[in-house]
Amino acid sequence: MSEAQQTDKWELRLYTAGQTPKSLAALSNLKKLCDEHLSGRYSIEIVDLLQNPRLAKDDQIVAIPTLVRKLPAPMRKIIGDLSDTERALVGLQLRPRK
Amino acid sequence: MNQTLDPGINEELEAMRQRVQEAEDTCLAIARGEVDAFVVGAHEEQKRVLLLAGAYQRYRQLVEHMQQGAVTCSPQGDILYANQRFAAMLDVPLSSLYAAPLESYVAVPDRARLSAFLLLSARGSRTDVTLHRRDGHIVPVRLSLTSFGDGYASILVTELTMPQRLDEVEHSLNGIRDALEVLNRVCANDESGRQAIKAIGAEINGLARLADELRDEQRRTEGG
Repeated sequence: MSEAQQTDKWELRLYTAGQTPKSLAALSNLKKLCDEHLSGRYSIEIVDLLQNPRLAKDDQIVAIPTLVRKLPAPMRKIIGDLSDTERALVGLQLRPRK
Repeated sequence: MNQTLDPGINEELEAMRQRVQEAEDTCLAIARGEVDAFVVGAHEEQKRVLLLAGAYQRYRQLVEHMQQGAVTCSPQGDILYANQRFAAMLDVPLSSLYAAPLESYVAVPDRARLSAFLLLSARGSRTDVTLHRRDGHIVPVRLSLTSFGDGYASILVTELTMPQRLDEVEHSLNGIRDALEVLNRVCANDESGRQAIKAIGAEINGLARLADELRDEQRRTEGG
């Protein structure tokens, strides 16, 4: 288990654009991923940039959807709908990069 | 000779490396079709979300297949968009609605109210009007303004069925009954006031019975 994975609580922020196909897919994929690898140790915050585009400034978001790992530090950003599970796990440091 | 880089330079290099990595990740995600929207705008106050064409699919399907009519009008009241349900309410081809004045489908007595409704264009505002179907029948509907941006009014059109209208009548009658109870207490020592309240109460009960009879008739008609 990686050092990051040992941290108690993961705080994840998913930037979406309403109900676009990729935004929905990202949330669905994220939920599956978290339930499988972080069961009970995560919280997901959804930031809908369609409602308030200015919130993109916080994490310098350009493409949507984008997932930001706020905790554990350091901040990590994964761009896209998380359909590539392996890439998402590597990006979140839940799996070492090969 | 080995030279150790200044720690400040190391930090800058690391920051640059992360920016390059993020840029590469963004390009990769775009190339793979894993994103369908972008945040654009040169300045903070100009920031907005740009959706790729396919991102609208779900919204379009929702609007096209929902049970309520949906209409978008220009500030002049011309129909710029309507969904199939609205066309079906009027029993006209959808294509005939585009660029037509919305008021041309509204009963004459209600047109002033429609104009005021469009003029006000306050988000969440509602008004009830009567539409004319092609076959001559009338359709009472509730217009609800769902959004107002760029000068266009997006309107939800909900058909008011008889049971719904009767529910509203009963709701109003209950409101009047509540008010009468208050008046009854106020007029405790005023005989003529109490007589008037009693008369109003009798009329309200009569109207409530009429509403019940209409509801029963409606049920019999639908059941038959």
